[in-house]
Amino acid sequence: MRVADMFALPVVALWQQKSRTVLTTLGVVFGAFVLAASLAINHGVQQTIDRESRRGDVLRRIDVRPRWGGQGPAKPAQEIVVKGKMSEAKRRRIHEALVAKQEAEKPGVFLTPEMLQKLAGLEHVQVVEPEASQFGEARFEDNREGLQINSARPDEKPYPQRIVAGRFFNDPAERGAVVSEVLLYRWGIADDEAVENVLGKKIRIAIKSYVQKPGLNVYLVKPVGVPASFDEGGLLSKVREQLPGVIDQLDLTPDERELLRQAAASKSADEEDEPEEYVEEYPIVGVLREPSADEEKERRWWESLGGSKGVVLPYQTAANLFFRVRANRERGVYNATLFIDREENVKSVFEQVRKLGLTGTAALEIIERERLIWSLVFGAMTCVATVAMLVAALGIANTMLMSVLERTREIGIMKAVGAAGRHVLFIFLVEGALIGLTGGGLGLLVAWALSSPAETWVRSLVNEEMRRNLSGAIFVFPPWLLATVMLFAVIVTTLAAVYPARRAATTDPVAALRHE
Amino acid sequence: MITEVAVRTVELTKRYGGAAAPVVALRQVTLDVPRGQRVALLGKSGSGKSTLLNLLGGLDRPTSGGMSVAGRELDRLSSRELARFRAHAVGMIFQSFNLIASRTALENVELPMIFAGVPRRRRRAEAGRALEAVGLGARLDHRPAQLSGGESQRVAVARALVNRPEIVLADEPTGNLDSATAREVIALILDHVREHGATLILVTHDEELARECTDRVVRLKDGELCE
Repeated sequence: MRVADMFALPVVALWQQKSRTVLTTLGVVFGAFVLAASLAINHGVQQTIDRESRRGDVLRRIDVRPRWGGQGPAKPAQEIVVKGKMSEAKRRRIHEALVAKQEAEKPGVFLTPEMLQKLAGLEHVQVVEPEASQFGEARFEDNREGLQINSARPDEKPYPQRIVAGRFFNDPAERGAVVSEVLLYRWGIADDEAVENVLGKKIRIAIKSYVQKPGLNVYLVKPVGVPASFDEGGLLSKVREQLPGVIDQLDLTPDERELLRQAAASKSADEEDEPEEYVEEYPIVGVLREPSADEEKERRWWESLGGSKGVVLPYQTAANLFFRVRANRERGVYNATLFIDREENVKSVFEQVRKLGLTGTAALEIIERERLIWSLVFGAMTCVATVAMLVAALGIANTMLMSVLERTREIGIMKAVGAAGRHVLFIFLVEGALIGLTGGGLGLLVAWALSSPAETWVRSLVNEEMRRNLSGAIFVFPPWLLATVMLFAVIVTTLAAVYPARRAATTDPVAALRHE
Repeated sequence: MITEVAVRTVELTKRYGGAAAPVVALRQVTLDVPRGQRVALLGKSGSGKSTLLNLLGGLDRPTSGGMSVAGRELDRLSSRELARFRAHAVGMIFQSFNLIASRTALENVELPMIFAGVPRRRRRAEAGRALEAVGLGARLDHRPAQLSGGESQRVAVARALVNRPEIVLADEPTGNLDSATAREVIALILDHVREHGATLILVTHDEELARECTDRVVRLKDGELCE
């Protein structure tokens, strides 16, 4: 028997049973469709997660934070003894609680200049960017305004593309500042030429030293949570200085007065030497426009504190200014971002950071969790698809078994005129495979056709919920996916045809010829 | 002169059913048929005629005994070799035509050539010629349901003879036909046998037909040969 006939005979047989073939194939189409859609969305979503998470090298970043502590030192766990008559369970519970409390009492670990240096010395760490954004006052010619002094990396998106005059920074330690065009406008510098003329001129940045001084402090928090302005801060600093002198005039008991006096006296010895404010002068190297809606999404959370309608310094320059205040040197920055050379080294660096007693977040860990969750969802979807395909396979097995019974006489005739058992076996197996091939192909086609409206829907959903435009496709059909679905469909349907085909192949021709 | 034997059976026995209730269809049948001879196999229903024909056609295997057909020891052939034997060496014609209902006359005649590995183009041509030879040149694309009994049997004859078999086994080929059509069908078979020097074993219970058309009459009674 020629190979071409081995395929032609099954095709003819399937064609002659059109209704049955169509219904059987529909089952496979459904299974293949679910499988293809599941694989396509899994592949697309994984790619999207990777693509979105790689924006701005986020996967190579670790955000490190200080660990706030107590007075310390902590007692070792074995030295903590729970006294009293009680059950062992209760003793254990209380012991655990006391140990936890002791842990919290451990001295804090802060992102001081020394610690930042230590972090910079860790293997695989390329850059340590301390987040030294702070509240201060910008003074330019006769203008002055309290605002948020932001810090940024020279290559930090989207700053460079927002420059409307001059340039962005060349170096993290550059002595230069970039100012907002809105700030200039508020100061009456509106004309384009006037804005250009600002470049190269000096802006003075002042920061107050009263923030976080040890001892008694006076704070002003406005009803909506807005902190005190620069001037108000200065005023509060004066009030703080005068407080010890007016304790006796307050309506307090003698004990309360004594307590307050001690609190007010607990300043560091050299505090008196510290000036009330520090002022630095920087040449203006560039002017920034406000971010567009898309750029707004790229913004870092702390920028929203003072908006970007202010001044930006290179991060090292901003840190140098920040650390001029003694309290800042002692308590450090609230956040530092480590940039690691390669993604695969993030975990080991993070481990070292934790060993230093610091805490933090690595986007990679979050992304890995997301990937895991998505993999579980995908696993469930694939299970559903597999079940759908197996149900289709059962349908095929049943249909083909019926077909074998119906075609018993035909099988007998074929054997009588020279068909061997293997010919009959092959004919039925090819019938199964052809159903898989057609069903798999159509299932893929349906999945591909429906992916377009589904893609539009998912995009609109993401845009609506997250105000984010996704780049790239969510449903992806790479060649391996097409091959996998087709192969799976063909294998499953061929396997489903094995039993009916074997029955057909072993049919006794004499009995088959008598079959009515 | 040495006469070549086309069919030889030696103490051929065929038993059906289990050991508890065996049915003996053939009992130690020994028969020699020289090449080119036309043999009529006569006997009542259940005498074992069809069983013997099925054994000679390689459709069934004997319980005991040996047989040689067209130079092949059938009892020693594997299933695959038996299939090849059926495709090339024998042509079988049945009383009930045994055509595949879903296929046209041409496709039915093509079937043995498919399993004999004949290329499609040649197959088509030869099937067409075979049908023309049996007077159905205008009925190539008709399905069995669109043909009369005589036409259907002529398609079956064309199918049996298309591979030019050495042995033609006809199991009551005229049983379902009127006498005029029966004569036409027998004439077609005999023409082929004469033309190709083939051996014919014709199962029938028509004594007159057996005497007129064959060289030798062999009788079977209760599975035993009584020539």
